[in-house]
Amino acid sequence: MSDSIFELVDNLPEKNLTTMMLNSLDNIVPGEWENTVGFVNTIRKVTGEDDEDLIQQIGDRAVWLYNDKSQGYRRAMWLYQTVDRTDKALGTAALANKVGNKIPLVGGLLTRVTPNPDKAQALDLSIKLVVELVAFCQINGIPGDSIGDFVGALSDYSGESLMRMAALVCVDGLIPLGPDFLLKAQSTLSGIGPKDLESNSTFKEVEESIPGGNTKGKLDFIGESFDSVKGWMSDFVASKNLDPQKVMNNLQGFLEFSDNKLDYVAAFIDMSTNYYEHTGTQTLARRLIERAFDEI
Amino acid sequence: MIGLRKFLVAFFLTSCLLLTSCAQQAPSRFDGAQQESTSKGATAVVDNSQSGGSFNRYFPDSGNGYDRIYSQEKKGFAQAKLKKDGQEIAILSISDVLNNTITVDKYQSSTDKINGFPAVAQGSTATAVLVGDRYQVKIRSKDSSFSESDREEWLGKFDLRGLSKLK
Repeated sequence: MSDSIFELVDNLPEKNLTTMMLNSLDNIVPGEWENTVGFVNTIRKVTGEDDEDLIQQIGDRAVWLYNDKSQGYRRAMWLYQTVDRTDKALGTAALANKVGNKIPLVGGLLTRVTPNPDKAQALDLSIKLVVELVAFCQINGIPGDSIGDFVGALSDYSGESLMRMAALVCVDGLIPLGPDFLLKAQSTLSGIGPKDLESNSTFKEVEESIPGGNTKGKLDFIGESFDSVKGWMSDFVASKNLDPQKVMNNLQGFLEFSDNKLDYVAAFIDMSTNYYEHTGTQTLARRLIERAFDEI
Repeated sequence: MIGLRKFLVAFFLTSCLLLTSCAQQAPSRFDGAQQESTSKGATAVVDNSQSGGSFNRYFPDSGNGYDRIYSQEKKGFAQAKLKKDGQEIAILSISDVLNNTITVDKYQSSTDKINGFPAVAQGSTATAVLVGDRYQVKIRSKDSSFSESDREEWLGKFDLRGLSKLK
């Protein structure tokens, strides 16, 4: 795996299953996300500058900042990478089956995925949300358990960050859990104990970065985070008139599947895409470049 | 026969090595920075730079249709967005040059001043002042409606004098 920020941004794919999925959600957050790839290209886009010497200075400073572990950027990148556990082979196999612009989700592809039980899916959704909160604080420098600051910042989310949240609501909320996904997640969180959390594989990957001390404290932190963000999520769903049917119609822009296979669609997207890592890398690069230009 | 087989295996393994090394990343113009910044003891931020939070009070306030929204706060650095009618028009920042001392060099040839402090234009979007030889205050346009003279005017709205006394 690449270690430098410029390689990570240079290696972002221009087109794969993740970008196809994100593009299919474009009309939910119109024009917010553009798949900007390549480090120098990102510097040009973010700063609006094209002087090569200036671009070099900005890029060099960004590289320095990223590599200083005390600055939190590497931890944020690790979180975005780790919370997305992707089966790359499945993505490749799916693309190989493409007919025209669509991937038929039938037969062999479906047998390779197993839908998450509701409880595990509700936990995954909550943990991804907490990862966003912690990564936001690592990148922007607000103390790690400042839920209030994060909720305030959510209303200012735009670009690839807003697209990431839209995708979270759609493919980790509405599609696998249905229209009352917020209630399901909340009742799951209030009904489980530290032992249940410890047996969740997503939690196990990222637990060291979740504030709260012991597992009980971390579970409380996840619950509090979810509580404070659910208002934003339900407003988002209401303002965009989102429901599983609408999201399904969007996804059918690149996937072909029958309506009674929603849980398989969710599992397939979960396994074959890495939208958290992809858009997280873009968010991190943008914030890093914005700071680097200010400091040179 | 065994010799040939050994040779073929060795040849195959060498080819694999060559192929994988060719598949490595091409050299980058940022390799130098990568190497230096990952060498032992290298840091981008020094311990004795000011806390980012100590800069907040020197930023211009929201008002008259403008919103100032703080966006980043790190050691030696604070940044805010300037919005008008919900649209981001500029980025405002204060940074401690102790974190990146080379940045003061560009002020040596500066002839412009804002509120008595040396000022420079950078690229086509940025204008900055150096305050008390220690803090860089910078404004970058995010929309073409926010011109160089807007940047100069807004730099004057920071409490530059107060900042120059921050120890």
